[in-house]
Amino acid sequence: MKRMIIVLTLATLFSGLVLAATFVSLSPLIELNRERALQASLAALFADVEDPTFEQLDVDVIDIYRGVDSEDQLIGYAVRITAAGYNGPINMLIGLTPELTQIEGLQVVENLETPGLGGRITENQFRGQFRGLNPTRAIRTVRNVEPDPEANEVQAISGATISTNAVVEAINRRAQEAIDAIRAAEGR
Amino acid sequence: MAARSISYEFTKGLLRNNPVFVQVLGMCPVLAVSTSVVNGLGMGLATSFVLVSAALIASVIKPIVPSEVRIPVYAVVIATFVTIADLVLRAFFPPLSASLGPYVPLIVVNCVIMGRIEAFATRNRPIAAVSDALGMGAGFTAALMVLGAVREVLGSGAFFGIELFGEGFTPLLVMILPAGAFLTLGVLMAVFNAAKEGSHMVLIKAESKAEA
Repeated sequence: MKRMIIVLTLATLFSGLVLAATFVSLSPLIELNRERALQASLAALFADVEDPTFEQLDVDVIDIYRGVDSEDQLIGYAVRITAAGYNGPINMLIGLTPELTQIEGLQVVENLETPGLGGRITENQFRGQFRGLNPTRAIRTVRNVEPDPEANEVQAISGATISTNAVVEAINRRAQEAIDAIRAAEGR
Repeated sequence: MAARSISYEFTKGLLRNNPVFVQVLGMCPVLAVSTSVVNGLGMGLATSFVLVSAALIASVIKPIVPSEVRIPVYAVVIATFVTIADLVLRAFFPPLSASLGPYVPLIVVNCVIMGRIEAFATRNRPIAAVSDALGMGAGFTAALMVLGAVREVLGSGAFFGIELFGEGFTPLLVMILPAGAFLTLGVLMAVFNAAKEGSHMVLIKAESKAEA
């Protein structure tokens, strides 16, 4: 009886020590990887700008990044938006032009959508449609007809209605809020 | 139990007693992450690492672990190595870690590992336990990679991430979906067993000839 307790306690204690040591030594690297993935996604949003740098705005609740080019000119903003996807959260970044009147682009940072169906939200064919749309009005999805960018329309991915709607609805819900937050933070 | 050679303990996991095709263990990761060769390789290696480390520790600490608490003790040992594997993947192979997703932490409940510890590692000396675990790990990895290769070629038209066919190829989408995993596994298992049966028949024929 006593031996059982001692052995199990020792096993968990030892395991805890090993895990703590591993975690402490690897967590800086893991944090660095996360930061790198974020920076890569941010840079991909503003692909035509060379050497952009990003700085997080001091805003509550929403993660907003202010992007500048190598000459310190404002190139736009990136907003982190999370959508409730088919298999779990879809973590995205949307880019906004400096005037906040157009969407610069969409990047999917993390997703668990079904490969080949909902997973196609990461493909340029879908993401590219958001470029130039108006973030202050609701984006609508259309099926089987050519989307009209003037009317803020994007074509849904066939067989992936839930993933498509999740992305579009999350942008519709959060974009205005983000724009207001940017205006307030930048004092304009 | 009569002691068998180390090489016997190693090779039995590859074909004769393959954890996937013969023992049909650890089906959850086999079906879930075998969508590409790279995923299969990553998952196989992570599982092998846990399997070998846990088998070694279990075999070494066996004499001091009372049998009433052996399951929780081994579960703690396995969980520790799984967490280490998860952290290492996240630190050094972030893309692989992202594509394996929640299946790395789930190695904890992979029955290949608890199965080998209970059935073999705790009943044998550390050297035998490690060679058994290495063989089972290699067999598991190979099975995942074969499954991944079939599904990736048919379902994405690629191998190791390299596009194989031109624009004209329409991927068989079902192959990357869960249904494709079951189809591939069933067919491969049938082929595997037919081959096994075949080699068995040859052996029996040779023996009966020798007797006659």
